[in-house]
Amino acid sequence: MVRSVVMVVGLLVVLAAVSAAPALAHTGDGLSGGFIGGFGHPLFGPDHVAAMVAVGLWGAFLGPPAIWLLPIVFPLVMALGGVLGILGVPLPGVEIGIAASAIVLGLMVALAAQPPLVIAAVLVGAFAIFHGHAHGAELPPGANVVAFSIGFVVATGLLHLAGISFGLLARWPAGRIAVRAAGGAIALAGVVFLSAAV
Amino acid sequence: MSRLFRAVLAVAFLSRADPALAHLPIEGVGGFYGGLLHPILVPTHALSVVTLGLFIGRQRERRMASLVFAAALVAGLTAIALAVDVPVVTVMLANTALLGVLVAAAWAPPQPLGWLLAAIAGATLALDSPPQAVTIAEANVMLVGTALGACLAVAVVDAIASYLTKAWQQIAVRVLASWIAASAILVLAMSWR
Repeated sequence: MVRSVVMVVGLLVVLAAVSAAPALAHTGDGLSGGFIGGFGHPLFGPDHVAAMVAVGLWGAFLGPPAIWLLPIVFPLVMALGGVLGILGVPLPGVEIGIAASAIVLGLMVALAAQPPLVIAAVLVGAFAIFHGHAHGAELPPGANVVAFSIGFVVATGLLHLAGISFGLLARWPAGRIAVRAAGGAIALAGVVFLSAAV
Repeated sequence: MSRLFRAVLAVAFLSRADPALAHLPIEGVGGFYGGLLHPILVPTHALSVVTLGLFIGRQRERRMASLVFAAALVAGLTAIALAVDVPVVTVMLANTALLGVLVAAAWAPPQPLGWLLAAIAGATLALDSPPQAVTIAEANVMLVGTALGACLAVAVVDAIASYLTKAWQQIAVRVLASWIAASAILVLAMSWR
């Protein structure tokens, strides 16, 4: 009798163990979880935030067509960088590249640099590779991939939009100073990111 | 002992059985409405129909692309009804990414290429929508719903995109398309990992 009770209790313990849902930490399961996980990914990285806002600021500073072309180029090229990260293709100096993006793009805004559009697009695109690679490599396993990627791209786009919105102040003299000061602040933040990365 | 043990064992096995969740966009909504909502609520399908709608809405000649999409969709659903099973998600995502890039670049390709992309969108959406129904009749009703839902979704997005003629609206469409293309590229890469 005792033996049977022990066996039954043992079986129940095994049953309870195998019936427990796995403790998937921060995987972003489900549509909403995946979207929120992806949406928060760029927002919780200050280096990413600084660079994305700088892209928007610079686009607004350069005026049309850069104001919309740069935010279109960035996510597309960033996705290609994301592919490299997801597939595990190594890219040297990713964190340094991300920090450099904040420094360079911030300086472009601070110095009111107005290079030809192609150069601006290439510069932004080159940095987008680093940002995309970092995001792709850090993608949590188990996340709803579609929802995660949509959230991730939308958050990036909204950061650009925030930069553009602030950058539109450059139409007025005082606003121009504020935008350039913001660029300078981003460049300084980039130096901090760089010192942490090296 | 053995009776009790067997009873517990039976409960154990029963409790391990996963619920038979059909591939429904909303749990409990099946049949016609399940099919109708399928193209909108399955994320990869929604990306595909929205991008195709944006693409068609930016074209001068929109009718033929829509017809080609509908024809390919019906052909694909017919194939599904005949139990053809082809994995097409990768093709669908690649097609979505390409359509998104074309809209983002504001480049109108030669018409036959546009029709081909519309056909791929229709066929892949259909082939990736196998109905999970108990009876053949219910499955067929679900497929009809899917056809109608997909055509409606593309038509609505197409109509909205064609009305967005102001400069900032066209830019918004291009930005949206670039986001969708980027998402599709990332999902595609994740499917290779």
